[in-house]
Amino acid sequence: MNAPRHFTTQLAVIGSGIAGFAASIFALNRKIATAQVGNTGAVAYTTGYLDLIGKRDGVADVVTDPWQALASLRETEPTHPLSRVAADDIQRAFAEFTAFLGECGLAYSAPGAVNISALTPVGTLKQTLCVPATMAAGPHALAANAACVIVDFRGLKGFSGVEVVANLRQRWPRLTTQRISFPGMERGEVYPEVMARALEVPAIREKLAEALNGVAGSTSIIGLPAMLGMHRPDHVRAELERLTGREIFEIPTMPPSVPGIRLRELFQQVLPQKGVTLVPQQKVTSLSFGDDGATLALSDNFGPIRVHAQAVILATGRFLSGGLEAHPTGIREHLLDLPVTQPAARADWYRARYTDPRGHPIHRAGIEVDDSFRPLTSEGRRYHDRLFAAGVILAHQDWIRGRSGAGIAIATAFKAVTEAERFLSGR
Amino acid sequence: MAETAIASINFKEAALKLLPEGANFEACLTCGLCSSGCPASGIENMDPRKFIRMAMLGMDEELSSTPWIWCCTLCKRCQYVCPMSIDVAQLVFLARGNWPEDRKPSGIVRSCQLTRASDSTSAMGMPPADFVSVVEEVLAEVRATQTDFQQLRAPIDKLGAHFFVNQNSREPMSEPEEMVPLWKIFDVVGADWTYSSKGWAAENFCMFSGNEEAWREVIHKRVDAVNELGCEVWLNTECGHSYYSMWHGIERFGLQANFRLESIVTYYAQWIREGKLPVNSQWNSRGTKFTVQDPCMIVRKAYGDAIAEDMRFVVKTLVGDENFVDMQPNRSANYCCGGGGGFLQAGMTEHRRTYGKRKFDQIAATGAAYVLTPCHNCHSQMLDIGRFYGGRYGVVHLWTLICLSLGILGKNERIYLGPELRG
Repeated sequence: MNAPRHFTTQLAVIGSGIAGFAASIFALNRKIATAQVGNTGAVAYTTGYLDLIGKRDGVADVVTDPWQALASLRETEPTHPLSRVAADDIQRAFAEFTAFLGECGLAYSAPGAVNISALTPVGTLKQTLCVPATMAAGPHALAANAACVIVDFRGLKGFSGVEVVANLRQRWPRLTTQRISFPGMERGEVYPEVMARALEVPAIREKLAEALNGVAGSTSIIGLPAMLGMHRPDHVRAELERLTGREIFEIPTMPPSVPGIRLRELFQQVLPQKGVTLVPQQKVTSLSFGDDGATLALSDNFGPIRVHAQAVILATGRFLSGGLEAHPTGIREHLLDLPVTQPAARADWYRARYTDPRGHPIHRAGIEVDDSFRPLTSEGRRYHDRLFAAGVILAHQDWIRGRSGAGIAIATAFKAVTEAERFLSGR
Repeated sequence: MAETAIASINFKEAALKLLPEGANFEACLTCGLCSSGCPASGIENMDPRKFIRMAMLGMDEELSSTPWIWCCTLCKRCQYVCPMSIDVAQLVFLARGNWPEDRKPSGIVRSCQLTRASDSTSAMGMPPADFVSVVEEVLAEVRATQTDFQQLRAPIDKLGAHFFVNQNSREPMSEPEEMVPLWKIFDVVGADWTYSSKGWAAENFCMFSGNEEAWREVIHKRVDAVNELGCEVWLNTECGHSYYSMWHGIERFGLQANFRLESIVTYYAQWIREGKLPVNSQWNSRGTKFTVQDPCMIVRKAYGDAIAEDMRFVVKTLVGDENFVDMQPNRSANYCCGGGGGFLQAGMTEHRRTYGKRKFDQIAATGAAYVLTPCHNCHSQMLDIGRFYGGRYGVVHLWTLICLSLGILGKNERIYLGPELRG
């Protein structure tokens, strides 16, 4: 076994989901030396949309004005993580996060005053705050009821133009669909990831443009499953628009989705180039605190790693990413055994009906933090001055029902980094 | 003669024994990131997700006999992209070992047999005496024909040398002049190095055959050879799987290695940083574009991104920052080219080229005129798919460009360069 490799840093971020990467980006922008560790996370499952808040419990209508919804949330759910970050900070966090993505070659719409009604893989609509530039034309075409053709591909699972059109027929009567074969992938199952990477090759773009023109007829707008390149999506889209002479937009697909893989690969390439020490695929096995800092232990294929940090942000996610673990006796926080606010008994985790409009109590389980986003012990004291937390591991939120996953991740990462910076600078 | 039947493995039971505590295949979310990111998906109507699902469903007979296990290159990209870190390659390796020898791809079996047949551990069957003789002949020719290298050395069996340098058999067997650039590099930096007449070869197809005992035997022989010469560092040449098979084999089989294992790429970078290897990109006045292929066996499966960064430092210094174009994806997320895992030796050419199409597209997307890679299998595969799919790129070893930059590359050491660089 190789000897441990040691890294010393100001801030260690544990977790490689949106919250973890957002924390690293905010830290980087504040010139805080940062190491980020933690396994892959669920980034690759995202649609690419950055939701802030799209639905309120007990309110029938979807949220069109997220800022007003946040103000209301503060009144009704003061312990919700989004209620504990100032609206101005949330706005700044989204602006900073999307600007960073844009500078790195993945253009996003800036956070606006209202939500965007964005298309889902099955042709329903969801409310989101920011969308990738490759997807922006879809909602516009919908709003204008413009003539548009959704083109899908033989062998592609998880995205059906027929389904999208059927579900949008009432709202978008001028929407039609066509099916083609992707050039060079005429047989067997095809994956959006594979098509996206193939579209980085100019010759393949030319062939696809020809195929698209063959079915688009007089329609000047084409919607495609998200597959317009992996690393230069805006360029690929522009080139396809040039080659077809039509406007083109993407619709997210079911996981594993290209927009999620784009984000993951962008983070993993760009952050090390900008100075972040990144060990993205491995779980931290222990975290300990001493008088002079924290030590994280983990291993990669090559051997053990130790990260020594002045401050730590815990962004390990929930059950899927391993931040929380469900045991017969209750829910536990994986790394430090932090107390988890949760239903009193396992029998209370779920309500009797899966579709109960009130949701299920287990989804609001999580760890408690103080106003500086430092995790709390069962006695209500800070676990350690050096420890902060961000993301959906926090209690009192149900991000899926609230359509607020990215919002919670980005806003709380911003807050946690702000507080960590305050601690590191001795203020 | 009738073929030997393939016994059925209980994959689910085996998985429980193979995996570290806390890991299990039932954690699979069936999301498909593995299959989406695997160039072998679809070949033989199989993919990594299907493999795991079939294992969990107890479809042992089908999995035990699927030829797909010889198309999976054991590159572990599926595990790398899996949020649950599920290790499909472990089961594939188990399945390979379970096939009777007479049913395994004969090319891989034959390579392993040849490796075990002599003290050289050469998969091409080159005995120690022949290796020594080829090295001496080539050295004599260089000394006689290249005036700057009349004192060039290629020591063999030098006791106590700092570096024990291994050698892929392809060079001494088929293109001996390709050994010379590395000797020149050692000469320029003043390295204290030696070849060995025993255990000198790099390649190890016994590992790819799934034959654990043979893998152990080969590594044992090589470890003994280094220990006997008392070298401090076993320096792996530009060959991917040789590093992994030795590094992982020593730990797997609990062998006593009295030396460190290092990659030549690490030393190229170190020597450049130290000024011992004064390379630059001035020779590349035409602005020829280069990309690099990250070998799975030394990047994703062993060192991680650290060595990928070293390789980029070396290549950018050699060709100029502005003339380097990274493949996407890259580093630990890079795709296997399809030459690894014994695929090149397995005789499944159509499948191998289907697999390699993704690599071809990656290279085509860069627009690079050359791919650099410190791996012989990658090198051969990328040349083959380039020819097959109509690519216009060349594939070169790093040692070629280093010597080209230093102005010491002999005329007969340029076989992988295009006419514009042959001088």
